[in-house]
Amino acid sequence: MDLRLLPEETDFAAEARAWLVEHVPAETLPSLDTREGFERHREWERMLFDAGWAVVDWPARYGGRDATLIQWLLFEEEYYRARAPRRVSQNGVFLLAPTLFEFGTEAQQDRYLRRIARADDIWAQAWSEPDAGSDLAAIRSTARRADGGWLLSGQKTWSTRAAFADRAFGLFRSDPEQPRHRGLSYFLFPLDAGGVTVRPIRQLDGETGFAEVFLDDVFVPDEDVLGEPGQGWRVAMSTTGSERGLTLRSPGRFLATADRLVRLARDADGEADAVLRDEVARAWIGAEAYRLYTFGTVGRVLAGQSLGAESSLNKIYWSELDIAMHQTALRLLGPRGPLTGHAADAADAGRWLEDYLFALAGPIYAGTNEIQRNLIAERVLGLPRS
Amino acid sequence: MRFGFSEDQLQLTGAVRQLLDGELSPQVRASAEAGARRGALWKALAEQGVFALLIPEEHDGLGLTELDAAGVLDELGRAAAPGPVAETMFIAPRLLSGSPEQLQALAAGQLVVAVTALPGGYAAHADIADLVLVLAAEEVRAVPGGAAGPDVQPQVDQTRPLAAVPRGQGTVLAAGAAARELVAAARNYGAVATAAQLVGAAARLLDDTIRYAGQRHQFGHPIGSFQAVKHKLADVAVAVAFARPLVHRACYSLCYQLPTAARDASAAKAAAADAAELAARVALQVHGAIGYTEEAELQVWLKRVWALVPEWGDAHLHRQRVATALLDEPLLPCTP
Repeated sequence: MDLRLLPEETDFAAEARAWLVEHVPAETLPSLDTREGFERHREWERMLFDAGWAVVDWPARYGGRDATLIQWLLFEEEYYRARAPRRVSQNGVFLLAPTLFEFGTEAQQDRYLRRIARADDIWAQAWSEPDAGSDLAAIRSTARRADGGWLLSGQKTWSTRAAFADRAFGLFRSDPEQPRHRGLSYFLFPLDAGGVTVRPIRQLDGETGFAEVFLDDVFVPDEDVLGEPGQGWRVAMSTTGSERGLTLRSPGRFLATADRLVRLARDADGEADAVLRDEVARAWIGAEAYRLYTFGTVGRVLAGQSLGAESSLNKIYWSELDIAMHQTALRLLGPRGPLTGHAADAADAGRWLEDYLFALAGPIYAGTNEIQRNLIAERVLGLPRS
Repeated sequence: MRFGFSEDQLQLTGAVRQLLDGELSPQVRASAEAGARRGALWKALAEQGVFALLIPEEHDGLGLTELDAAGVLDELGRAAAPGPVAETMFIAPRLLSGSPEQLQALAAGQLVVAVTALPGGYAAHADIADLVLVLAAEEVRAVPGGAAGPDVQPQVDQTRPLAAVPRGQGTVLAAGAAARELVAAARNYGAVATAAQLVGAAARLLDDTIRYAGQRHQFGHPIGSFQAVKHKLADVAVAVAFARPLVHRACYSLCYQLPTAARDASAAKAAAADAAELAARVALQVHGAIGYTEEAELQVWLKRVWALVPEWGDAHLHRQRVATALLDEPLLPCTP
C-alpha cells in the first residue's frame, strides 16, 4: 500500500490545476438548462477540448491524453476543487462513450467520439418512458424495420439534457415477439430529425434539465444501431454500469463539497454546535471513505477484475452522502439556507441550495437506490431472487 | 499510488483466518474461562507469529508494520477471538518499546497484556493478563496482572470481563510529556485495533445473516427473497464496504507516522462502530427470535460488537476528534 503519488501523477495534477486556475470563468456561467447557458457551457467544453482536458483518459486520436485512471481521478479532484462549470457533455463523455468504446464499430467510434469530446454533439438520455422507470425492461417505444434502417416511434421521458441537446441515445423495442429484456435495440438518433418533438419539463429546481421526447416514425440508419439489434439490454446495462460506477461520480466531486463544508463550518466561527460539528465530521469521513474505496476499486480494475454489480454499492453511497453533506451545509446556514441565488443575502450565490436540490435527484436517477439494493442483495450478497 | 495489500499481506491474513477457523470452537468462543482467553488458541497464534508482527527483528520479532496487522485484526473480529490478542499484538508494542525484555516476551506470546484508558481503572481481561498498562493524562503505569483483584465487572460480552486495576500500583513507564505522547499514540492504536475488529465482526454478522436468510423459509419462500430483508442487508454491505478502507488508511497513517494519524484513526473508529452497530441490529432482526437466544452463536458477535463500540471512545467522540482536526486546527493537505 502506497498512497504517495508518482512524479508523473503530481505533475499531471499540477498542470491541470494551473490550467484550471487560469481558465475557469470567474463568474458562474448561466444555468446549463437554459438556451444561453447551454451554449456557454458548450463553449467551455470546447476550451477544455482545445487544451486537452475534455477527456483526459481517452486515446489521443479522439482528443484525450491516454491518462491513467489515477491521473483521471486527480484531474477530477482538481476540476471540482477549481469549481469549474458543470459538464454539459456528461451524457456523452461518461455514459455513451464507454459504451461506444465497448460495443461501437470502428466507424461509429470515428464518427462520434471526437465530436463528443469537442462538444460538437451534446447527447441526451432516452431511457425512461411513462410506464417504464425503474422497470426499464417494460419500455414500449418501438423500432420497426425500414429500408436501410429503422423507424422509431413512442414516447421517452425524463430525458436528461434533451431540451437543448443535439442527439440522444436509448432503447427501443425492435422485436415485439420477444419478451421484455430480449428484442430491445440500442439506437443513436438526432433530436432535430423529422418526427421528433421535444417538450421540456421544468424540474423541482425550476430548470428544464429534462424533457419528454415524442417520436413518430423517426428514421435511423442501420449504422446508428449500437451493438447488435436485439442486444440492446446488454449494451444498455454497460452504460448504467458506468453511470453507477466509477465514471459518473468521481470522488473529486464529493471531496470538493466536503472541503467547502469544512470551510463553511470554520467560517461559522464557533456558531456550529456539537451536533453540527458531528455532522461535518461525518460528511468529511464519508467523502474520505468514498475516495479511499475508489482507490481500492481502481486497484481491482487495474488487476483485471470487472466492477459489475459492485457499482451499486457506490451509487447508494455517493447519492446518500451528497444529500447528507448538503443538508448539513443548509443547517449551518440557518435562515439563509433556503435563499435562492436570486436573493441578495444568499450564501455562495445560493449554490448550497441549488446543489441540495440536485443531490435529491441522486437516489432516483441512474436506477433508484431501491433497485440498487435489490441488485446488491441478489448479485453481490447472493440472496435468492424474489 | 496503490491502495491495496501485497500478496504477503493477504497470505498472512489468510493463514490467520485458517488458524482461527480451525482452532476456535464455539465453546471456547463463548467461554469466560482463563483457558479460553489465554490457552491453546493463544499458543497457536504465537506460533503463527501474530504477537511478533510489530516487534522489531532485533527483539526476536518479525519487524512488520501496522499495514501487515490490518488484515489480522480484521480476522480477530471476524472470529470473535477471545482474550486480549489485539491489545497484546497491536497496542502493547508501542507502549513497551523501551523494554527489550518485554518486547521479546511479547514476540514469543509469553506476555499477555491488557490496556486501559478508562478513568475508573477497569481493563478488559485484566483478570488474566500478566501485565496491565494503565493510561492516565500524565502517566503511563505498568501494573502486574496479579494485582488485579477479584473485583470483576461483568459486561455484556461475558468473555470480555472488565477487572479493576488498583490505582498507584506497579511501575511508572512514562510521565509528563513522554507520557502524553505515549498516551496519544496508544489511543490511536487502540481506536484502530478496535475499528478493525469491528469491521471484521460486522462482515461476519453480514455473512452469517445472509446464510440464515437463505435457509429460513416463511410464507413458502426463503426470507432472504423478501425485499424488506434484502434492503436491510444491502445497507449493511454498503456500511461495511466503506468503513473498511478507512481502517486500512488509518493503519497506513500509523505505519508512516503521518501527521493525520489521529484524525484517520478516529475516522476509522467512527465509521467502523456505526457499521458494526448497524450490522448487529440487522443481524438480530433478520434472525428473529432464534437470534434472541443464548443458544444461537450469533449472540457472541452481537455482544462483542456492543462491547467494542464504546472501547477507546464511541463514534460520537471520534467524530468530535475529527471535527477538532478539521475545524479548530490548521488545515492539513488532503493527500497522501
